[in-house]
Amino acid sequence: MRMSARARAARVLAGLALALSAVGPAAIPAAAAGPAILKLGTIENLRSLNPYQAAYFPDYETFQLNFSLLVDIGPKLEPYPAFADKWERSADGKSWKFHIRTGMKWSDGKPADSADACFSYGLVVDAINNDASVGNGYIDPALKDARVTKAECPDPETMLLFTDDGTTKVLKTSIPILPKHIYGKETYETIGDVDFKPPLVGTGQYQVTEYTADQVVHLVRNPNYWGKKGFADEIFIQIFKSADTMVQSLKRGDIDYARSVPVEQFKALEGEPNIKTVAGDLAGWVELGFNNYGTGTGKSIAGGGASTRALQDPAFRDALGYAIDKQALVDKVRGGFAEVGSTNVPPVMQNLEATPPFNWHKNPASPRTFDIAIAKQKLDAAGYVLNATGQRLDKEGKPISLHLVMPDSEPSYPQGAQFIQDWFTQVGIKVQSDVIEENSLYEIMLPPEADPPGTAKYDMFIWSWYETVEPNVLLQVFLCNQIGTSSDSLWCNPDYDKLYDQQNLAPDDQQRKKLIDQMQDLFYEQAPYHILYYDKQLDAYRTDKFAGWQNQPIDGGYPLFSYSAIDYQFLTDATAVQPTASPEPAASGQAPSGGPSASPAQTPAPTGTSSNSTLLIIVGVLAVLIIVVGGVVFSRRRSRALEDDE
Amino acid sequence: MGTRYFGRKLTGALITIVLIVLFNFFLFRMMPGSPERALARNPHIQASVLAETRARWGLDKPLFPDQFLAYVAATTQGDLGYSLKFEGQTVVDVLATHFWPTVILFGVGEVLAAIIGLALGAYTGWRRGGPIDLVGNAFSLILYSMPYFVIGMLLLVVFATGLRWFPTSGMLSLGASHASPIDVFVDFLAHFTLPVATVAIGLIGQYSILMRSSVIETLSEDYVTTARAKGLTDGRTLRSHVLPNALLPAVTLIAINLGYVVAGAITVEIVFNWPGLGTLTVDALSSRDYSVLQGSFLLLSITVVFANLAADFLYALLDPRVKA
Repeated sequence: MRMSARARAARVLAGLALALSAVGPAAIPAAAAGPAILKLGTIENLRSLNPYQAAYFPDYETFQLNFSLLVDIGPKLEPYPAFADKWERSADGKSWKFHIRTGMKWSDGKPADSADACFSYGLVVDAINNDASVGNGYIDPALKDARVTKAECPDPETMLLFTDDGTTKVLKTSIPILPKHIYGKETYETIGDVDFKPPLVGTGQYQVTEYTADQVVHLVRNPNYWGKKGFADEIFIQIFKSADTMVQSLKRGDIDYARSVPVEQFKALEGEPNIKTVAGDLAGWVELGFNNYGTGTGKSIAGGGASTRALQDPAFRDALGYAIDKQALVDKVRGGFAEVGSTNVPPVMQNLEATPPFNWHKNPASPRTFDIAIAKQKLDAAGYVLNATGQRLDKEGKPISLHLVMPDSEPSYPQGAQFIQDWFTQVGIKVQSDVIEENSLYEIMLPPEADPPGTAKYDMFIWSWYETVEPNVLLQVFLCNQIGTSSDSLWCNPDYDKLYDQQNLAPDDQQRKKLIDQMQDLFYEQAPYHILYYDKQLDAYRTDKFAGWQNQPIDGGYPLFSYSAIDYQFLTDATAVQPTASPEPAASGQAPSGGPSASPAQTPAPTGTSSNSTLLIIVGVLAVLIIVVGGVVFSRRRSRALEDDE
Repeated sequence: MGTRYFGRKLTGALITIVLIVLFNFFLFRMMPGSPERALARNPHIQASVLAETRARWGLDKPLFPDQFLAYVAATTQGDLGYSLKFEGQTVVDVLATHFWPTVILFGVGEVLAAIIGLALGAYTGWRRGGPIDLVGNAFSLILYSMPYFVIGMLLLVVFATGLRWFPTSGMLSLGASHASPIDVFVDFLAHFTLPVATVAIGLIGQYSILMRSSVIETLSEDYVTTARAKGLTDGRTLRSHVLPNALLPAVTLIAINLGYVVAGAITVEIVFNWPGLGTLTVDALSSRDYSVLQGSFLLLSITVVFANLAADFLYALLDPRVKA
C-alpha cells in the first residue's frame, strides 16, 4: 500500500506533536513532598572550594557554610558565637581566651575541639612569622593586622591568642576552622594548593557534597551542626552566565534567590507576586581614580605614565571634583540605588563592639558640590588656563586631554563615563574613554614597581572596591608600598602612610577611630580618587517557599552572600503557619543555641543530579536520532521502490 | 585520479592542523594579562606568591624554547596538560564534560534546521511567487537576520516564564528526584527543547534562502526542461532532477556549519545556562587559562578542518567534475 506525501507528512506531524506533548508542562518534575531545597542564583563565579583560594562572594559563602569561623559576624555585624561560644580579653590586654563549644562534632562524627582551632590558626600564624601568605593571600592579612603572634590550646575547650594589639581586630577575621584529622599534615605553604574535593567535612550548617566547576555547588544539611537549624535541607548555588536568565529563573520559581540583579530588572521585579527585592549597603564604592604616579615620590615612567603632570597636582584633582554631579550618577546610572560617595571608608562600616559603638565612616567637613563655574575658577586659580579654542592647558602649555579607562565587567561604568566626559568638556578638558577587557586592564595599569613591570599608561579610570566590614583593607589600597600591588591610583603620601601605621598600633578602638578620621580627611582633600558612590547590592528572592529572610546587617543589609553565612539558620517554611512574625534570635542578638543535643539530626538523603545522567542523555539522544534517520531512510527507499515499480 | 585528489586534500588538512597546533601556543600568550593575576583575583597578593604560582604552572621558564617545546612534546603525545582554572583537572577531562552538551545541542539543532530549512527552501523555490513562497521567504529573511540571543530570550520569556511550559536553564532540574532513567530523559527533553529550538530557528533562515535560490536556478537548466518534455510528473522532476543538483551548495553550507558544532552557539549557551564548550572557552579566555584555550581551539580547529574535508569528499562524489 502506498502512502501519499500528505499522509506521510501527517504522520510526521503527529509524531512531533506527541514528542512535544511529552516535553510539555507535565514533563517537568513536580515539587513533591521531600527535602526543602533552597536554590540560589549568582552570575559571579565560584573560584575554588579551598578557602585559601577564595576570591569571589560565592567562594566565601560556600566555605562559611561548610566550615565554622572561630568568631562569626552577627546580624548587626557584631562578633557572634561560632566555633568559640565565649571569649574574653586578658586583664593586661595581651591575650584573648576563646572557649571552644563543648561536645561539638565534625560532620563525619569525629570530635571537634581546640586542637582543630589551634591547627587552623597555627597555619596562618606560621605564615605571618615567616613573612609569607597562605594561598592567594586574601584571608591571612586580617590576623596579621591583629598582630597575633602565637596560638595556644592548653585544653580541648580553650584557645589562647597572643597579641599586642589593643583593638578588637582579632574578632573580625575569616579564618575557617579546618578538621585537623583531615588536613593535619598540611602547612601554611601547602594548604593553599590542597584540592578540597567533595564531600567536605566541616562544622558549619551545610556540607558540600557535589561541585561542578562553573556550574553548581550542592550542599546538604550537616546533621552534627551545633546551632539553630534553618528550614532548607539542601542548598544549590547555581552559577548563571546571564543575569537576564537568572531573573527569568527567579520569576518562574526555578530558583529562590537571585544575587546581583541589574538595575532595570530590579525595578521591574518590584511588585511581582511572591518576589521581594532588597537593595542593601555594600562595604565598597565605585570611584573615578587618577593616575597619580610621581605624587610623593617624584618618579616618572619612560614612555608611560599619565599624559599630563597636572594629575600629580592635588589642586587640579580637587577642581575636577566640582565638575562631577555625583547625585546625577546615583540617579541616572544606578537608578537611585546608591549613596553619594565621599571618603575611603564606606558608611556601612561600624564598630558595635566598642564602647560606645561608632561608625568608622567620617563625612568630609566641606564636601565638594557640583558647580561647573567653581570648577573653572579653581582650575584657573591653580594655573590651568584656557587657550583660544577653549581647551584647558597644563603648566607645560600642552592642551589637557585625558584617557579614561574602565573594565568591561560592569555595564554601568560606560554610562557614568559619558556623563563625566560631558562635564569635563564643559570645563575645557577633553576626555577619551575606553572599555577594556578586565584582565587586559590590570596589565595596562601596572606600574614599573609591579612584577612583571608595566608602564601605567592611563590617566583616569572607573572601577570599584568591595571588602569586608574591617576598614584596614580599603585603607591599605592607598599606601605607598602598595604601588606595584593593589594601588591603582599609584598615589603616595607619607603622611597618610604614617597615620595608617599609627591607627594599626592604636591602643584602643576610640584612638584608632580618631586616626582613621584623619586619614579620611587627608584622602578627601588630596583626592587621588573621587569616590562617585557607595553602591547597593541589588538582590531578589521568592517568598512562597521560604520565609524568615533576614538582612545582614538587619538595617540596610541583604540576606545572603553577605558578611557571613548565619542568615540561612533563620529561614523558615513559608507554607507553614508562622507563630511569630520575625526570627527573634537575630533581632535580640542572642547567640544561637549550642551543643549537638539542641535538636535531633534529620538528614534527608541528598537528592541531585547523577553524574551518570550525561551518559544516559547521550545514549537517549543518539537512539532518537538513529530511529529518526532510520525511519527517513526506510521511508525513502520504500517510496523509491514503489516509484520504480510504476 | 580520485585517490590523488583525496590524498591531496587529506595532506592539506593534516598540515593545517599542525600549523594550528603551533599557532595556538603563541596566539593566547600574545594577549595582555596573565593567568596568575587573573585567577588569584587578589590585588593585595604578594610578589612571592605570584612567583610561586608562575613556577608551579611552568610559566616562569622562557616562552621560547622551553615552554614551547614542552607544549609541542606533550601535545604530540595527546597530553593537553592541566587546566589552570579548574584545579587538579586535566584539560581532556574539562573538555570532555563540556563537549557532549554542545554537540548534542548544536548537532540536533543543525539537523532539524537542515531538514526544515531545506524543505521550506525547496518548496518555496518550486512554487515561486505563491503565497507560501511570499510568507516563507519573508519568514526566512527575518530569522536569518535575528541573533541567537534575541530568539533565545524571546522563547525564554514566552515559553518558560510566560506559559511556564519549559524550565529556564541548565540540562536537568536541580534537586529533582528522578524515579527512572526515562524520567531523567524526559526532564532533559524539557530543558533541551528551548535551546535546540533557538539553534534550529536561527539556522533555518539561511538554509531556506540558499535552497530556494538554488532550486530556482536549477529549474532554468535545460535538463529540467528535457525531463518535463519527457512527460515526467512534477514530483518526479523535482526529486530526480532538481533537488539532487540544487542540494550541492547546501552540502557545503551544512558541512561548514557542522564544523562549528563543537564551538556551539555561545549566546545560546549563555541564555539557557547550557554547560557547553562555547561558555567554557569564553570563561577560559577571561581567566587566561592557556591550557584549556589551547585544547578547545585545537578541538574546534580539527572539527572545522575535518568538516571541510568531508565536504570536499562529498562534493567530489556528488559532482565528479571537481576531481579534475
